[in-house]
Amino acid sequence: MTRTTWQRLKADRYGMSGLLIVLFFTVVALSVWIGLLGQGWSEVSGNSWESISATHWFGTNLLGQDILQRTLFGAATAFEIGLIVTGFSILLGTVLGALAGWYSHSWLDEIILWLKGVLDSIPFYLFAAAVAFALQGNRWAMHLAMIITFWTTTARIVRGEVMRIKQREFIEAARAIGLPGITVVFRHVLPNTVHILLVQATIVFVVAIKTEVILSFLGLGIRDGVSWGLMLAESSQEVVAGQFGNFTAASVSLFIMLMGFNLFTDALQDALDTRRIMP
Amino acid sequence: MSAVALNVKDLSVWFETQSGRLQIVDNISFSIKAGEATGLVGESGCGKTMTAFAILGLSPASGGTVESAGIEIGGTDISTLSAVQRRRILGRDIAMVFQQPGTALDPVFTIGQQISAVHRRHAGGGRNNTRQAMLDALEQVGFGQPGKIAAAYPHELSGGMRQLAMIAMATVCKPAVLIADEPSTALDSGTQALVLQQIKRLQADHGTAILLISHDLSVIRQSCENVMVMYCGRLLEKADCQGLFSLARHPYSAGLISCIPQISALKPSGINAIPGQVPTPSALPPGCHFAPRCDRAVTRCAQSVPGFGAGSDRGSDRDVACFRPL
Amino acid sequence: MKKLPFLARKVLYGIPLLLGVTFVSFLLMVYFGPDKTYELLGKNPSAEQISEVRHALGYDRPFLLRYGDYLKELVTLNLGLSDSTGEAVSSILARTLPVSIALVLPGFVIGNILGLALGMLAAWYRGQWLDKLVMSASVVGMSLSFLVIIIILQILLSTPYGFNIFPVRGWQVVDLSSYLYYVTVPTLALLLVTLGYNTRFYRAVMVDEIERDHIRTLQAYGTSPAELLFKNVLKNSLIPVLTRIMFSVPFVIVSGSLLLESYFGIPGIGLVTVNAITSGDQPILKAVVGLTGVLFVLALMINDMLYSVVDPRVVSEQAVSKS
Repeated sequence: MTRTTWQRLKADRYGMSGLLIVLFFTVVALSVWIGLLGQGWSEVSGNSWESISATHWFGTNLLGQDILQRTLFGAATAFEIGLIVTGFSILLGTVLGALAGWYSHSWLDEIILWLKGVLDSIPFYLFAAAVAFALQGNRWAMHLAMIITFWTTTARIVRGEVMRIKQREFIEAARAIGLPGITVVFRHVLPNTVHILLVQATIVFVVAIKTEVILSFLGLGIRDGVSWGLMLAESSQEVVAGQFGNFTAASVSLFIMLMGFNLFTDALQDALDTRRIMP
Repeated sequence: MSAVALNVKDLSVWFETQSGRLQIVDNISFSIKAGEATGLVGESGCGKTMTAFAILGLSPASGGTVESAGIEIGGTDISTLSAVQRRRILGRDIAMVFQQPGTALDPVFTIGQQISAVHRRHAGGGRNNTRQAMLDALEQVGFGQPGKIAAAYPHELSGGMRQLAMIAMATVCKPAVLIADEPSTALDSGTQALVLQQIKRLQADHGTAILLISHDLSVIRQSCENVMVMYCGRLLEKADCQGLFSLARHPYSAGLISCIPQISALKPSGINAIPGQVPTPSALPPGCHFAPRCDRAVTRCAQSVPGFGAGSDRGSDRDVACFRPL
Repeated sequence: MKKLPFLARKVLYGIPLLLGVTFVSFLLMVYFGPDKTYELLGKNPSAEQISEVRHALGYDRPFLLRYGDYLKELVTLNLGLSDSTGEAVSSILARTLPVSIALVLPGFVIGNILGLALGMLAAWYRGQWLDKLVMSASVVGMSLSFLVIIIILQILLSTPYGFNIFPVRGWQVVDLSSYLYYVTVPTLALLLVTLGYNTRFYRAVMVDEIERDHIRTLQAYGTSPAELLFKNVLKNSLIPVLTRIMFSVPFVIVSGSLLLESYFGIPGIGLVTVNAITSGDQPILKAVVGLTGVLFVLALMINDMLYSVVDPRVVSEQAVSKS
């Protein structure tokens, strides 16, 4: 990220509030991981459905567990899913996209494009169900399904960028002095796509978190721990009976976090000027 | 003496930015008589195209401001019209031919559909009438098989053919004024001549007043009776073509003329160039904008702006904005 | 006669994709799918019994033959019987698919039309307050989870805590008024969850179109904004718009119905699928996954063919770039 990009980002009020929100949730997630917050998420610490009090800021759920603790832990779960899925899918998409773009119109490119086409053709939730089915309840089935399907967008973008950059003079110069193709890609081409990957990463992060909510509701989500998706799934039975604790805590946290990411992504795109049309 | 077809009074265009006002067109006035062709010459970025857009009232992108004391076409001031009223004039009384024939036409409609749409909007008179007018317009610009061209999409034609089709679109309603913005710049020299010839024919046949915008003085010399020299948003000299080429009064005009490559020139120095660079709109020098590059400049030139008639009144046949004209 | 080889080529390109999609679903659902041998055997089976059952299930057949069997099932729509109910899978699909389409179609259509209209409006007034309003609202929409939207709408419209005018769940559709009674809340949910994304996408497309040179030409010839937008801009942007719609059909039909039907207990294909996931009903799952993949690839092929109808440049450009 260059100095001017940062300057532009700093001037964007919405983008900066987005960044602050993201940082806040990052701190919460880190605190959960190092054991400062949310450790009592599974303890039964009160009666069923207690209302808001000094001991239970957000009340308790059906089992008498503290909703605040569960919400805090849920932030860490969301980050875990977001980071794992984003990291691996961006990595996979970058490598495959760079290969396809560098060797464009070769058999390797054709195979990668075919694989991308195949994966794009299976509706995601069905694919997730299929993976869960094949792995028979493995706790990483959801993560795996997301990684396998989310890399394709990154690959398409990187492929296009690499094909574009490949034409430029400094790359041709690097090839002319005899650097092997793959070295040129990783040393000269990919650094020029970092800003696009950054934007793509924030987008994938949001999609991963939203997807977890749906998959958890469908019973294909996380299997141990608690997530906002699981809390919302629980709450879907409770709201009809007038119990809004789980729902309010999970939906508001989810909304604020996603809003933070979306605002930040928008500002980042504007600052980097990478806005593209993606169908 | 024929009537004035286009009269532009005190036209200015500017953009407000964080670093201040960018003056793109600075208070220019001119008029063109019916059946006359006037060239507007200047280096790229000097405000020529913006002048054309401002005359048509096409709002510049990213919120520039256009101001004038009147833009009259055949006596009607179009600058004060409402958007709806103005749309009735555009394409009927004044038309424009654009620089890039490749992108100026809509790619998903045929040439015939696009020309017919203009005619239907302004002239009406039924489907057959419109089709006939469209075919006539295509035939008049020199297409032997207008029906075939009408059925073609822009991408199926060459650049020169597209530009001729564009001219047909401009002339289908026989406008009183035609603005041609670098109509031949993107074309090869053979097609260039053909396009300029069609513009001349229009002038002769319909008495259309032409404003021909170009960075190329030789193009203007071929096609125009009068010429205006523009630099950094201002008009520096207005003259008849012959007069300018025999004696340019403004040092910048003289510089431009000496830049034209002379094939027959025996001078070993070849092509001349005006020293220095065109200032950007954000850093215009005060006084005469050309002063820093001018070898005749004196202290006064850098301090106050010369208007027309500022210099010694030698030969009053033309307007020169210079304190020390040649 | 340029169009014929173009179409033939499109069909040809679709074939590897079709094979790929069916192969992935075969791999996941059949080959690596649950082994049903022991469900069908009693306690302490002999090795002979085991191999008998495996033979009956076709597990001992060569890999490629089993894939061929699966392809044959998909092509002939002879998809076997459901493990849990014993009903023929094809008849289950025939019964539930219309329900799903009736459920998601209104939201899908309205969501795209409204998104297109808002996108156009925002693009035309780019940078002005209307644009900013639309864009801010779309960010809010994009930050809301589908599940959250459903629950909020349910609280607002279907419980005593809100207006309580629509049913909490269910689908007893007999006529138009009962259809509207049951479809309104799911439609609103689908609309809200897709509108933000649609609007942004369509706005980006329209902004690109409005900035193109020929738009200025049209303005210079007196074209009114309405004609400009609805005739020229719309026709020029049909390709991204159509692609968007075609691509989102499977997402909205499948994913939308999965969540909506399981939440509202609507007996469509989504609910059948969710139940099959929980009960491990392999015949249903492999049929649904395989068939949706195939339908999606077919939709892509149709989409590519539509290009050549919509945009005169496509056929000739591709002919040039391929030669």
